[in-house]
Amino acid sequence: MTLNPSFEQDLLALLPRLRRFAVGLCGNPADGDDLCQMSLERALANRDKWREGTRLDSWMYRIMRNLWIDEGRATTRRRETFVAEDAGLSVGGEGAQEAAVELSLVDRAMQQLPADQREAVLLVMVEGYGYREAAEIVGCPVGTLNSRLVRGRDALLTLLGEKA
Amino acid sequence: MTVTREELAAFADGELPPERAQQIAQTVERDPELAQQLAAHRALKDRLAGHFAPIAQQPVPDRLSAMLTRETAPVSDIAAAREKRQARRRLPHWGWVAGPALAASLALAIFLPRGGVPDGYADAQLAGALDTQLVAEQPSGADTRILLSFQNREGDFCRAFSGASGSGIACRDTQGWKLEALGEGAAGARTEYRTAGADAGAIMARAQSMADGPALDAEAEAEARATGWQ
Repeated sequence: MTLNPSFEQDLLALLPRLRRFAVGLCGNPADGDDLCQMSLERALANRDKWREGTRLDSWMYRIMRNLWIDEGRATTRRRETFVAEDAGLSVGGEGAQEAAVELSLVDRAMQQLPADQREAVLLVMVEGYGYREAAEIVGCPVGTLNSRLVRGRDALLTLLGEKA
Repeated sequence: MTVTREELAAFADGELPPERAQQIAQTVERDPELAQQLAAHRALKDRLAGHFAPIAQQPVPDRLSAMLTRETAPVSDIAAAREKRQARRRLPHWGWVAGPALAASLALAIFLPRGGVPDGYADAQLAGALDTQLVAEQPSGADTRILLSFQNREGDFCRAFSGASGSGIACRDTQGWKLEALGEGAAGARTEYRTAGADAGAIMARAQSMADGPALDAEAEAEARATGWQ
């Protein structure tokens, strides 16, 4: 395995965008950063699987998205059991940040979308990927990506009180 | 001409071949309802992009950027990381109610006597930390960390501690620091990330059940130290 120092540098440059995607998927900065950390671990462990000349950003987004899907059910269950405890915590630092985010209408609406619609909306409408690139990241046909995007969009427009 | 919702979205996102895009542009011009749907799609895209843009502008947390410049302990999964994070956040606070199960899981034990210390009392090294370390000022790499200090119902000063050789609660009486509760050692948990785990949680739960009133704040703790914790 050849170590390519620019691999780390390129990941570092991608990191702000990866965080944005992670926070969007998870719905809060703390979980988003944990997802980011796991994704970086996975990427560093599998760096020999990345083929130079292919897009590092798509590869990273795919890693992150796959980890998020894998974690999804367990995390959602855990969240439910922790809500009651959290409510009794004095708010400060990280807690305040999470609370502030939870108050956002957009975040709450995003969290109500099914996973496949949420990732489609984030990849296209926030991350700016074309349908083909987004479909490759998610691993579905372009047409499927398109229809998930539309369903997600329509749900958001309803939740946010804007007419479609 | 019929324009499906999927096709209109693809049009809005610039995903259609030029010829088809032009046909749809002309159709939209003549159809106020389609025009309105198109505007809603674009407005939502702007709103979402604007909402999430600040995250990419924020400085990346050190623990993430450090991974690309040096080695870092792995997070096993999000759920476990969340628990650790919340345990850590919870520690300095007094306002949570611990479940009885946590308290029950705390093993009660007694230190072996050594070095002339009475049975059931902290040894010299631990006593030194209990005597001198303040929660607010202790060095981050201290062998024993004081989690908090409080007074029990007898009015004795007690301190919850955690360290590589063990964690527990000790209360100061006339003979020394009497060990009231001991948990498992945190050996193997080298990072701060891990020491504040379930064991520390159990210690804290136990401390709360013993305490008569809130934990000492920094000022009260310093005063107690000045009077030798008696």
